[in-house]
Amino acid sequence: VKTGASAANESVIRYVKSTCAHCVNFCGINIKLENNIIRSIYPDEARAEFYNHGICPKGVSGSFNTYNPYRIKTPLKRTNPKKGLDQDPGWVEISWDEAFDTITKKLQRIREDDPRKFVWQHGHGKYLIGDKFPKAFTAAFGTPNLVHRTTSCEAARHVADEITWGYHGFLPDINECNYLLNFGANYFEGEQFARWLDHTVTDAKERGMKVVVVEPRLSNSAAKANEWIPVRPGKDILLLLGMARILIQENWIDREFLTQYTNAPNLVDTNGEFLRDKDGQALVWDQVTQQAVAFSSGRIKPELAGRFTHNQKEYSTAFQVFADSLNTLNDKDIAEEAGVPAATIRRLTEELAKQAQIGATVVRNGQTLRYRPVAIHTFRGLAAKQYGVQNWRAGLIVQMLLGSIDAVGGLNLHSVHKKPGYMEPAEAEYPPTRVDLQESIFFPHATHNVAQQVAKTILEPKKYGLPYTPEMQIFYATNRPFSTTDSKEQFKSLEKTYNVVIDIVMSETAEMADIVLPDLTYLESWHLSPTRYTPATKHTAIRQPVTNVFNLPHDGFSIIWELASRLGLRDQYIEQINKKWGLKKNPLKTGRDYSAKEVVENLWLEKTKGKEFSYAVEHGFSGKHLSENDTYLKGVEAKFKGAGKPKMQFYAESMLGTLFNIKETVKQHDIKNIDLDDYQVSLSPLPLRVHSMPVPHRNKDKYPFYIITYKRMNRTQSGNTAMNPLLNALGPEADENFVLINEQTAIELKLKEKDKVQIETRVGSVEGRVKLTQCIRPDTLAVSYHYGQQSLGMPDYARKGIWINSILESHSDLVSGMDSFNDSVCRLKKV
Amino acid sequence: MTKFVRLIDMDRCMGCQACVAACYQENHYTPGSPWNEMIEYEIGTYPHVGKVFGTMGCMHCEDAPCQTVCDAIDVHAISKNEYGVVLVDYDKCIGCGYCDTVCPYNVPQLNKEVTSLYGEDKLSPLETIPQEQRHPTHHKKNNVMEKCTFCWHKLEQAINSNQIDKIGVDPQFTPSCDLVCPVEARFFGDLDDPDSEVSRQIGTKKATQLKKEYGTKPQVYYKLSGGDF
Repeated sequence: VKTGASAANESVIRYVKSTCAHCVNFCGINIKLENNIIRSIYPDEARAEFYNHGICPKGVSGSFNTYNPYRIKTPLKRTNPKKGLDQDPGWVEISWDEAFDTITKKLQRIREDDPRKFVWQHGHGKYLIGDKFPKAFTAAFGTPNLVHRTTSCEAARHVADEITWGYHGFLPDINECNYLLNFGANYFEGEQFARWLDHTVTDAKERGMKVVVVEPRLSNSAAKANEWIPVRPGKDILLLLGMARILIQENWIDREFLTQYTNAPNLVDTNGEFLRDKDGQALVWDQVTQQAVAFSSGRIKPELAGRFTHNQKEYSTAFQVFADSLNTLNDKDIAEEAGVPAATIRRLTEELAKQAQIGATVVRNGQTLRYRPVAIHTFRGLAAKQYGVQNWRAGLIVQMLLGSIDAVGGLNLHSVHKKPGYMEPAEAEYPPTRVDLQESIFFPHATHNVAQQVAKTILEPKKYGLPYTPEMQIFYATNRPFSTTDSKEQFKSLEKTYNVVIDIVMSETAEMADIVLPDLTYLESWHLSPTRYTPATKHTAIRQPVTNVFNLPHDGFSIIWELASRLGLRDQYIEQINKKWGLKKNPLKTGRDYSAKEVVENLWLEKTKGKEFSYAVEHGFSGKHLSENDTYLKGVEAKFKGAGKPKMQFYAESMLGTLFNIKETVKQHDIKNIDLDDYQVSLSPLPLRVHSMPVPHRNKDKYPFYIITYKRMNRTQSGNTAMNPLLNALGPEADENFVLINEQTAIELKLKEKDKVQIETRVGSVEGRVKLTQCIRPDTLAVSYHYGQQSLGMPDYARKGIWINSILESHSDLVSGMDSFNDSVCRLKKV
Repeated sequence: MTKFVRLIDMDRCMGCQACVAACYQENHYTPGSPWNEMIEYEIGTYPHVGKVFGTMGCMHCEDAPCQTVCDAIDVHAISKNEYGVVLVDYDKCIGCGYCDTVCPYNVPQLNKEVTSLYGEDKLSPLETIPQEQRHPTHHKKNNVMEKCTFCWHKLEQAINSNQIDKIGVDPQFTPSCDLVCPVEARFFGDLDDPDSEVSRQIGTKKATQLKKEYGTKPQVYYKLSGGDF
């Protein structure tokens, strides 16, 4: 056997540390180059201590996204004025100069007229260069319209967090947790923190942590769990309410946590509002003095439960209101509706309560800390719904009952109370400032933009009272309309605007563009990379280029820079960059241009407090371990515990304040198309049974199946992985998605494996092939959401499968603007 | 002596296929002849159902039937080296397929026709690396049998540079599939070294070999996870 050593010796091998940007995990990578060709991509071993141990198949095969011959290599101009996915755009290649000149003229005219008519949209672009640059550009330009994608992901979860504890983001404290109840967070395939959760959950499971996964389809995460609870789609909130009911009935609750950290003891009147003193302080019932008083001193002992009379009026504690609302439910109804046996719900609740060890403390590094080693986790599972905020509120409330929030082994919150205003009633402005209606009367608590709403507003601006009509959009690394519910409607909006698309491949959005600009990939460009924290670590990282396959002169960063310069806005843009990035010690100077690398150096120096940039180039990142104090004592302990402190909103009275503001505005402006009943349901201060009934479920008679979507490991939604030949070859079914159907259901419908079927919802129909499985509820179909590309700019093999988003009903969460990916119902027939 | 072995822990494997993609990337995959494959199947009936994940590549058997049959027909394209690695010499292979017929694990992959990854003769820079600059195990040819080499091109570099102790430890000398696993479900190293991680894992996890009844003595061990495999 030949050894080949001589050939290998002739090669020049080098390694470059960088950060993967395929998805939002931002894994540390070590790129091996052989004679300057990307030979392999490995995980960066040094990053394992802080985040990822390995990398996923997308990261491993990332060079094939960069080397993709179907990438866009030159600016393109549309010659066919008619837009549509069935139209040939008639592309002609143009020079960069012509492209910039055309775009600048268009932008200049809009800016002089009304800068709000320009809309910037990005998705993954946020992570390629950081959203601070587009934010700085739009601020310098003068438009409020910069729209990201979070309502396609988990925005409702964030907003529920914000309303409840003043900021968003959390992780189960897996290293200390003994019982993880996971509502559909698929950390083995997708998910935001997947590459940390995967190895920590696996290790914890080996040491005895029990994992229970609640979801209608057995994902890989459920497959590796101790138990799978196949809940009926949309009914998980009922399961949580049922568990809360048992916890309260059995007195398996953390009274200390509820009274000292939350507003559960606050007295509520019959209108649902808090009893307040003349200073506006909410009052509790003091056990000692038997009076309604503000919880202002440690001498006061608030009653958690009960009904009390104050000034001849009846009040209940917020906790009592919740307990009473749960008493309208019964085990049998919950079990039937959720499709989970009552005995199972009771057993899970008992396990959770037992494992929580309510009242226990533990000493870590000399500190005595609350110990509740149970956590409830979710990502899109509870969030991607019409009532996503209420769904996750239910999850938070159960954890408040257990006292596991920010306890050792519990749910570790991120930046608690960073923005107290989130816990106040929303202003609910009208007319809306932004085209996506964020924080307007339509989506009053939407603080993460409303990705799917831009198209709807553009199609009917007057319906929403928007005082201007958008004329131009730039889409940066997003396939926005393709990735929302009811997507075909979304595409119609692109016929109404002048569109510029910056991307690496001809996405469906690019097919609707007037001008397309090629971007560099994450292996070809500089960036101060976003990173993921964990409960015990955080780190700062960079991305650095290792190639430039098609010798492209620009990436997202330099395109924005060029536009700002040509618009005469460069110095305003630089000032905004300094502001948005918070550059105090290392600001960019006005009056000169910067390369991406130069800017990354400034950002690195600022974020690492002056660590040499050569360190970043050599190591790719700089990490830090957090102390017990940082992890456990700076959150709810510091912000909410005890008298005289703000409290977590067990009872979200602020939402009633929001409802009040909406009603006043509706009256004032005589708005006709706001259904106040819908807002009353969505803005309930407590999660209720009604939140398990999204619109499609109320009209299910002719649609026997629920249809849910999910993510597979080997694809991103934007389309840029659809041409990756390694990913498409990961098994015989990797290049196509299927309609997952329970085998027994298939037998009843006389369907065989791979039969062609049509799925029909009230929005439309799609065809695809079935895959028979035992791993799904008999009343549910599941289709992964990142196949069925339509773009003519992709080869046939990249266009296989089902575009399921195109037939999902769109009923955005009125609180957060979250898109409703998991609420639709459908019919199925053999083709 | 040195005997390289792999352990695949199916309890930990989550089916992500990073190891499959890593093999493709590292070993100049061409369509139709994967060297590493994810096997995924369901156990049970709804709602009492589970899924099992595990990957299959060459077992590098101590008594390799593929080598036996290749020798028997006097082709001698398959050999097992002193480190326990079974390799195919593409220049000698006649593509007869006997090795695949006798392999209890259906490992050998006949690369009938080397085709480009993106189709339509569009080549990535990786595919344009000339044969002479590639390791012999990456000289892709039509009608030749291919299979996992334990990333011999990496092991060989460690051996040639007297760094054999770094195999399974240092990324540049470790098979890529074992390197990229996000959940440490794969280990590689010297079974004859009682202190190696792979030895320890095989022992403490009570790992086993597949289809032992064939007497092939595979050098890939599995920690099984319910059901057969």
